[in-house]
Amino acid sequence: MIAQSIIKELARIVGKKNTLADLKDLIAYSYDATMRQELPDVIVLPQSTAEVSAILKLAHREKIAVVPRGAGTNLSGGTIPVKGGIILEISRMNRILEINTADRRAVVEPGVINLDLQNALAPLGYFYPPDPASQKTSTMGGNIGENAGGPLCLRYGVTSKYVFGMEVVLADGEVINIGDYVEDFPGYDLRGLFIGSEGMLGIATKLTLHIIPKPEASQTMLAIFDRLEDCSQAVSDIIGAGIVPEAMELLDQNICRVIEQSVKAGYPTDAAGILLIEVAGLADTLEKQVQEISQFCQKNKVRELRIAQTNAERDAIWAGRRGAFGSVARICPPYIVCDGTVPRDKLPEALHKVGELSKQYKVLIVNVAHAGDGNLHPLILFDVNKPEEQEAAKKAGADILDACIAMGGTISGEHGIGLEKMDAMRHMFDPADMAAMRRVKHVFDPDDIFNPGKMFPPEAEAGLPKEKGAAR
Amino acid sequence: MDNTVSQEKQAFYQKLGEIAGAGNVLTGEKATAPYNVDGITPRAIACPTSTEQVTDIIKEANKARIALVPWGSGSKQQIGPCLEAADIILCLKNMNQIVELDASNYTVQVQAGLVNGELQKQLAEKSLFFPLDPFYMESSTTGGEIAANTSGPRRIMYGTVRDLVLGVTAVTPTGDIIHTGGKTMKNVAGIDLCRMYIGSWGTLGIITEAVLRLFPLSEASKGIYATFASAEDAFRTVGQLLNSPLTPSAIELADWIAGRKIAEAIGSSLNEGEVLLIVNSEGTNDGVERHGKDITSLAGANRAKSTFALADEKASRAWNAYRGVHEAMLGASPSALQGKASVPISKLGDMYKEAKKIGASQGVEIGVTAHCGSGILYTYLAEEHERLVRITDELKRAAASLNGFFLIESAPLSVRKGADILPPRNDYPLMRRLKTEFDPNNILNPGRLVGGLH
Repeated sequence: MIAQSIIKELARIVGKKNTLADLKDLIAYSYDATMRQELPDVIVLPQSTAEVSAILKLAHREKIAVVPRGAGTNLSGGTIPVKGGIILEISRMNRILEINTADRRAVVEPGVINLDLQNALAPLGYFYPPDPASQKTSTMGGNIGENAGGPLCLRYGVTSKYVFGMEVVLADGEVINIGDYVEDFPGYDLRGLFIGSEGMLGIATKLTLHIIPKPEASQTMLAIFDRLEDCSQAVSDIIGAGIVPEAMELLDQNICRVIEQSVKAGYPTDAAGILLIEVAGLADTLEKQVQEISQFCQKNKVRELRIAQTNAERDAIWAGRRGAFGSVARICPPYIVCDGTVPRDKLPEALHKVGELSKQYKVLIVNVAHAGDGNLHPLILFDVNKPEEQEAAKKAGADILDACIAMGGTISGEHGIGLEKMDAMRHMFDPADMAAMRRVKHVFDPDDIFNPGKMFPPEAEAGLPKEKGAAR
Repeated sequence: MDNTVSQEKQAFYQKLGEIAGAGNVLTGEKATAPYNVDGITPRAIACPTSTEQVTDIIKEANKARIALVPWGSGSKQQIGPCLEAADIILCLKNMNQIVELDASNYTVQVQAGLVNGELQKQLAEKSLFFPLDPFYMESSTTGGEIAANTSGPRRIMYGTVRDLVLGVTAVTPTGDIIHTGGKTMKNVAGIDLCRMYIGSWGTLGIITEAVLRLFPLSEASKGIYATFASAEDAFRTVGQLLNSPLTPSAIELADWIAGRKIAEAIGSSLNEGEVLLIVNSEGTNDGVERHGKDITSLAGANRAKSTFALADEKASRAWNAYRGVHEAMLGASPSALQGKASVPISKLGDMYKEAKKIGASQGVEIGVTAHCGSGILYTYLAEEHERLVRITDELKRAAASLNGFFLIESAPLSVRKGADILPPRNDYPLMRRLKTEFDPNNILNPGRLVGGLH
């Protein structure tokens, strides 16, 4: 618990109404999309870099934990305040400061919601490619903290490719600029270290983003398969032929059924798996792309290939995919989302393994996947009132991640480690790897102010890094 | 005190041969002279054959406080702040193998000493390529390109080093082997140490292996070469091109000084004040066709003097002429200087104008090339020391006033020693702390990059 005097001091910085410390507020900020829950001591909602800096100076002086938070849509426990302290929510810093299409840049505050930025860019004929499923609510600051992905990242790459510069407040309140508005800045890529650092290195207060012109035309398809193996093999064949669609999402029968209960996307409920494929580019090139893709689907015994004829049809196809997690939550709120990622050609093998583990542990697993990137999202469902089922679900999740590692993959493609995958870090990295990561943490935040107790498994906390070298 | 240090050093040189094998350690003036760097002739050249040997050498170097200089092909050793010491060159030329080519995943794992041009040859046999195409790519090593964070014209389509390198294996300055990133397109597990190594210039560790992203060779490619009487018309063409749904694979510009040989190669010529704009496209036949058509008409609408659409042999001859400009301009004189300006994309035309104005007012020819889609402009000039310093100071001011920066890259040693190489930034203190944390004894490339700031 932190002293009332500290809360008063925070209120002086951000204003009383932007300092929340009632129990109902603390509870509202105690969880995210994972299952854990821990109470913070206080929530502050600053509106400027100066306020953020003042908060950090105070936290640094008093050695209080600070957890940066956007919209709290994260899926790995990243914003749960396991050590209490201050939740610093950036939602009020939500101005789009500049859009310069001639420079291909947008400068925004971190509380800007991803979709709001897209909506501001669209009339100009531009877009910001990373499009996490949470884009309706998730903030740009949060997207950077987790290095968010999304369906379009298959063609365009993830968040780290589109963040050029950041204004960052460090653990002692110092404000610095990392990266740049222009390209090829000299020195270490602190920006690269910061992106995906899950709020553990500092807090970004201004972001310089790369934006690009929208493609001239696009075409959305829905391919329906009777066997999941055929579905994933079609993905491998398409990628193997060097075709790079804008997006290629795989959904299995279970998830289609769940989605159709809440979103009318028009997905079949009797097919083993479907592929949602979108191609984009110059109008002249689309017909050939569609033709080639349909050939690969046919080769893999596609039952039906629908091509969206209208914008409404296209939107319906996408609405189902974007609403997938929400639909699952509606029928079964407790579930584990895996984020394991495998080399692109290993997708069929990985999905097969998920099926086996579902049987082995007797848990229901529904599958969506950013298939073209080899990024799986098996959702493992369980009854929260049956501890043995919850245990089985956890074990299945851990086994899926181990299987991804064994196939040359990784434990997280876009959701981050947070609390949820701390144990799996040990399976993925050698002690030397984690020691090097902790050195970086130590350089940015020697007092462990920012989001403590995340990412590194507890035993890695011991020993390193030595208290030398980086003293200021 | 001095005696103990030298005894330790003596012991180190002995162990070096034991670790790397006597045949892989070169000493004596004849062997070391070609590795003279920033005016320092190293004591020995060690060419290890494995990551483990690199580790052992680094551990011993820490004990004896030996300054190690990682070396690929040496093509970028003259860039950036000067070294403070260089006892041993750690040359990775013996680590030049493909570790694993995973064609169906479009990745390749290579040893860091593998030369880019050699890698491309081996990939082409499988109809694949690695889209990183910086200066010297025929001779520079992949590890060196990653450490120096150098990207070429294709960056506009495929991204820069950070978008093409999925993982690196590195030996830290204290001798730990660490594995960063991996084989997947998406990877957010832990702190992204892979990106830390990109552009770290061998100061945070020695990259010994890397996993690279590959792409299938394109069905078709084409180059549009357009000459303009006025640079303004060329930059207007670029602006309109960038604001279109076209996705060219390179948008390059050369002025009449840098572009002379290219113009000859396409059977054209450039008069004083004229520029050449090169726009490449690659992909499917229909896409390349459309690019060629649209870009040609765009150039025409902006008063291009002449436009050439080149494919196959003719295109590669012209492109090779462009690729040769950098080395030809630098090789023209021992007092040649090459600098790099990076400005907002829409300000590139202004930077070009500023460079020309500075050249005219100083009475010196400044040759220019540019990556137009990235806001990057290279300047080439040859002059005596004092004037080089004065002119580059003006170029720095001009770039800064456009909200960008100007860096001296290649220059006579005396200029590099005297000048502030790096532009002002407020994150250098944090970078220096990173260096100190990873390399407490300052044994790796001491003085390079932020080590050069005092």
